[in-house]
Amino acid sequence: MKTIPAFISATVDQFRYAPLVIQIAVIFTAVAVSMTAIAYISILLNRYRSHRREKKLAALHPLIDELLTEHILMNEELYTDEPVEATVPVGVFDKPIFEKKWARQVLIQRLMQYRDNVQGAMGDQLRSLYIQLGLDKDSLKKLKSSRWDHKIQALGELTNMDIPIADVIILPLTNSRNRELRATARHAYIKLSKNEPFKFFDVATEPLLLWDQVELFRIISTTDRISIPNFAQWITYSSNKSIIAFCLKLVEHYQQLSAVPAVVKLLDTRDHYLRANAINCLGKLRIESVEDKLMSMYDSQPHHCRTEILKAFGRISSGKQVDFLRQEFLHSSDFEIRKHAAKSLINNQWAASSLIQELVDTATRENKLILKHCMNPLIKF
Amino acid sequence: MHKILVIEDDEVMPKIFQRILHKENYQLDHVVNGKEAIQKLEETNYGYDLIITDIMMPYANGFEILSRVKSRKEGKPIAVIIVSNAGNEDMILEGFKLGADDFLKKPVIPGELLIRVKRLLMQYQ
Repeated sequence: MKTIPAFISATVDQFRYAPLVIQIAVIFTAVAVSMTAIAYISILLNRYRSHRREKKLAALHPLIDELLTEHILMNEELYTDEPVEATVPVGVFDKPIFEKKWARQVLIQRLMQYRDNVQGAMGDQLRSLYIQLGLDKDSLKKLKSSRWDHKIQALGELTNMDIPIADVIILPLTNSRNRELRATARHAYIKLSKNEPFKFFDVATEPLLLWDQVELFRIISTTDRISIPNFAQWITYSSNKSIIAFCLKLVEHYQQLSAVPAVVKLLDTRDHYLRANAINCLGKLRIESVEDKLMSMYDSQPHHCRTEILKAFGRISSGKQVDFLRQEFLHSSDFEIRKHAAKSLINNQWAASSLIQELVDTATRENKLILKHCMNPLIKF
Repeated sequence: MHKILVIEDDEVMPKIFQRILHKENYQLDHVVNGKEAIQKLEETNYGYDLIITDIMMPYANGFEILSRVKSRKEGKPIAVIIVSNAGNEDMILEGFKLGADDFLKKPVIPGELLIRVKRLLMQYQ
């Protein structure tokens, strides 16, 4: 009967003297089998960990809910929007389980869930509880961790609980090279800094990606009592183009007419994407006084700036550019230009109704189609 | 006793409703999505006095429930309160166009919720 060492030695010999193709196939098979085994083991381990976590949570959540219900939700003094001087029930949370780090984290998450759903005196009470249990210290500790996911988690917790963070800690994070951390820090900064929520624009060197802009815009437009600065300062002085583009959108959203001179100056920028954004902003603000400048620069502009100028004439709708729009519609060789000229002509209909009728009557089949398309109020572009 | 149907996929919010509304002796039923809500309403033949619904939910959203409840021609009218954290103007207007009686943005002030519920139930009595 062969012993195990003899079996191994025979197998190694067989492998050593096997043809190269067989050796490669054996190695591939061994690697594939071990990778599959590792994958299965890690899946099993993860499932086991999450099962244990679920079990712990299933035991801890009812306890936290019971304490919060009994001492906060059922306290009728807290049913108001006014601040009240109710005692924070810190003592009832003085249990051995809450000395454990994981349990404190679960408590923080639960308090956040409750704060997401209630405000007023009850929301304030939840915040006081968070502070008096020292959970803010746990969050601040995480904020100083070297792991970016811990920092994001901490920022979420501190924002939810409305705990101010020192500029020296949060401002560098708004410029982090990690995209997710950067976005979360910027959101937190806007939510937490009531006086200068846009101060991070001064230090932002990393770009504001389009998705970040959408998220920031949502936060800015839904955060109560936010102080709105004059965005002209960044439009004029920022070296970060994405910040300027975002400020142009904010100028338009807040109809900030005091920023118009800065936007007009931007028409001379060498960056044609920013120039197009500035034209778009002026058009949406319906600044009639820039029409002559837009008209004079039209011929020297790239295609997308030209379409923005045409759109701006439509939005401003002063009636002064009707002849120019007619000329572009009839004589341009570019379909997009003709389409936008037609749309802007229709937007100037109050001043050009007879001209539009004449164009409809005399236009070629294609032009007539474009005009009809633009006249349909359900079609927007 | 007034019967209230809470349609909410959040884990914590129904618990909060339960506690806020407990002292008025309302009977609260809770479902977690639009599909269950429709089933519950059909099972009980729309036997509720008030519906508190979220907007963003799986299967059928709050607007679908609202339009189904408000477009009924028979049976007693049911008051509907939308409670949502989606507080943009379009959504609020859409809710009111479909016949919502009230709109509360999350986070809610408990006392305010209680008063609005009481007021609506009195109106529909």
